[in-house]
Amino acid sequence: MINKFRSSVLAVILLAAFTYAFSGGTVTGTVTYKGKIPKLRKFDMAIEPVCVMKHEKDPESYPARSEALILGDGNTLGNVFVNVISGLPEKKWEIPEEPVILNQDGCTYKPHVLALMAGQPLKFLNSDGVLHNLHTLPEENDEFNVTMPKFLKETIRTFEYPEPMFRIKCDVHPWMGGFLAVMDHPFYSITDKDGIFLISGLEPGTYEVEFWHEKLGTRTETVTIEGEETKTVDFTFTRKKKK
Amino acid sequence: MVEGIAEHEVTAKKVHHEELGWWRKYIFSVDHKVIGIQYGITALAFLLTGFTLMALMRWSLAYPDEPGPWWIFISGFTIMGIVVFLIGGIKRPYISLGGFIFIGIAGLVWYFTTQDSMLPVGTMLPEFYNSLGAMHGTIMVFLGIVPLAVGAFGNYVLPLQIGAPDMSFPRLNMASYWIFLVGGVLMLTSFFLPGGAAQSGWTSYPPLSVIQPGQTMWLIAMIFVITSSLLGAINFIVTTVQLRAKGMTWMRLPFFVWTQFITAFLLLLAFPALEVGAIFQLLDRVLGTSFYMSSGMVIGGEVVEIAGGGSALLWQHLFWFLAHPEVYVLILPAIGIVAEIITNNTRKPLWGYKAMVYSLIFIGFMSFTVYAHHMFITGMGSKVATWFMTTTMIISIPSIIFLAVMVFTLWGGSIRFSVPMLFALAWIPMFGIGGLTGLPLGLAPPDIHLHDTYYVIGHFHYVVAPGSIIALFAGIYYWFPKMTGKKLNDMLGKVHFWGTLIGMNLVFGPMLIQGMAGVSRRLYDGGLQYDHAQPVLFLNEWMSWGAWIIGIFQVAFIINIFLTLKKGEKVSDNVWEATTLEWSAAPSPPIAHGNFSTVPEVHRSAYEYNVPVNGRIEEFAPQNQPEEPVEAEE
Repeated sequence: MINKFRSSVLAVILLAAFTYAFSGGTVTGTVTYKGKIPKLRKFDMAIEPVCVMKHEKDPESYPARSEALILGDGNTLGNVFVNVISGLPEKKWEIPEEPVILNQDGCTYKPHVLALMAGQPLKFLNSDGVLHNLHTLPEENDEFNVTMPKFLKETIRTFEYPEPMFRIKCDVHPWMGGFLAVMDHPFYSITDKDGIFLISGLEPGTYEVEFWHEKLGTRTETVTIEGEETKTVDFTFTRKKKK
Repeated sequence: MVEGIAEHEVTAKKVHHEELGWWRKYIFSVDHKVIGIQYGITALAFLLTGFTLMALMRWSLAYPDEPGPWWIFISGFTIMGIVVFLIGGIKRPYISLGGFIFIGIAGLVWYFTTQDSMLPVGTMLPEFYNSLGAMHGTIMVFLGIVPLAVGAFGNYVLPLQIGAPDMSFPRLNMASYWIFLVGGVLMLTSFFLPGGAAQSGWTSYPPLSVIQPGQTMWLIAMIFVITSSLLGAINFIVTTVQLRAKGMTWMRLPFFVWTQFITAFLLLLAFPALEVGAIFQLLDRVLGTSFYMSSGMVIGGEVVEIAGGGSALLWQHLFWFLAHPEVYVLILPAIGIVAEIITNNTRKPLWGYKAMVYSLIFIGFMSFTVYAHHMFITGMGSKVATWFMTTTMIISIPSIIFLAVMVFTLWGGSIRFSVPMLFALAWIPMFGIGGLTGLPLGLAPPDIHLHDTYYVIGHFHYVVAPGSIIALFAGIYYWFPKMTGKKLNDMLGKVHFWGTLIGMNLVFGPMLIQGMAGVSRRLYDGGLQYDHAQPVLFLNEWMSWGAWIIGIFQVAFIINIFLTLKKGEKVSDNVWEATTLEWSAAPSPPIAHGNFSTVPEVHRSAYEYNVPVNGRIEEFAPQNQPEEPVEAEE
């Protein structure tokens, strides 16, 4: 109950901040999950004692498990990528200079799902101080398969072309995996454990919004924005029962 | 009719009087001597480049994950470039231009230091180590040793030794060099392309080579290099068959010519397999075919979206069908060079010349029947493995004959310890080690343990470095006076020899020990991650210092070449008092077009040193020296 209250307050604050920062309409909401909660696979990180120790220090992440389904209180769903797929005006959006950060920490990718704009720098960090590997599997952009030895604390890459979600993985640690989307506009958001997303700065109009989850698939919703209103679109992913 | 009569007298005279412009004379020349020198300079530049790549790799092996002192390489090569510029000055542009080779290598290393995908924060990335490894092997074998052994020595020496005015197809010869150069330049440019240079080793095994970045340019460059070799091979064969001087019968051919002749057949018959293989791999990469990709292939946990139906093993067959004869392409000319020098410096005929020739023909034939000993662990089955084990053991017999002949030639000879002879003498035990260490790899049971370990690296480096390269150095010291009319400095030559020989053994000897301890090849940290490697890990540092010592001693060689070109004194046409035609019938350097002022005629076998003539001992009797009429006893 307290967590729900905290989430609501956070949402309001974020909403206020973004409303102040950007003119235009906003789409926000909470994504939840409905269905049987599967048992998530445990990761055996014994070959990297540093990573095991990191997880041991944080009871919430010990033992390390798959991040395929991150649920908060009330089955709010994390790692859902929400983005506008149609209805945007034809224009070239400004590319942020600020890099997006993907940290290899505890032999997991943090965040597990991320998005950035084409041409925006993506900074990879290696907080573990062990040999990691970054292997992207895009279709539109150039694939890269590079190592990050312990001496290399950060490296920066960019993606040239917009591309829907594709995998990034580590060939040294087979459990390490994540997802990346490269966008040609800034209207996207990724839910945290509380399931909240927020897309602001939208001009009045009717938009198709896509909800993507690595295991639960893709769904779309149509949203119409009038003026600078804030539209709330709560969404529930329902796990299909196996036949 | 005497075998080997060449109908080239008229041609020689006609070409003689043709005036050529500078470009036709020195750049787009069709003269075999100029092309040979072009090949030589280019191959030496590539050898230095390939060596430098290895010297960089050795830092990562000795001191993994530590920033390297790359500035030493950059400043060292820059200083060398400046020194060469100063030696040459404005008056001798043919020397000064050599400075660009060193400046170019300095620039290449500097470029590496600026790339985050290569040496970020001054430390070598594992994938860049892989690129350096793949390019080191490729450059040393295909752009260094083969062009030097065949393109340079073959082109320069073979027509002279058989008494020919040029190669049979001079324009084809020129085309061969320029196609080779394009291939070499393309190979180097791959460092500057997105994705970098090839990372799949010089063997380029699929599926890795099909999915890894950087391989496409490797394949394109290789197609050029292979095409060049094929053109050269045809030329060598036709020239040897058609353009031998009058009296130059097959059994009077200098042994070096025999080695080039057999090598040309190996190139002609083996390289097409790799050319086809490379084109297939290029199609797999560029057009999405699946010659080497099997159905349902999973790479890194992902199912690869390919048509499938191919086999990665197909590449191994095509590659090793070339690459095993290729070993003999690397070593046969070396044996030819060593045989020339040993017989000349022992002042004795080559002991067992005919045995050498028959062994050479036999080894050439057999080299096509042993290739799958590189593939014992592919699951070929014991029956097939037995065949390849047997042929591999058989092919060692002619190699032993070569070594035995060299030793027997030394026996009782009045040995001259000239610089080329020092290199040739060192070659005997070095090639012996290279050959003997190959035997366990030719037998499936020990090969299963040794495969892909440093033992393999140690073995084949003993064959191609103190084996081929030492012999090529011997050849350079031996034929340099023929090419320039000037003899390289003995003192600098001896410094170069001892430094190179000791350095090579420091590098390659410990590799055999590491390999027997099970240390795998192609590890950027030299095995640091593995418990079983820990007891022999210290050898990585030794080997790296050995490699850098080799590099330092090459300075003596480089300075020797440029200083001799500038200040060397003119020596006699036959400075080594040799019997073969290039020394006895042609001036040093030979006449620009046509080689000989009069077309030579051959009267005797190739190595008549200290032979009895009319009751006296002739110190040496050149091949073109007519037989004396036998004096009637009183």
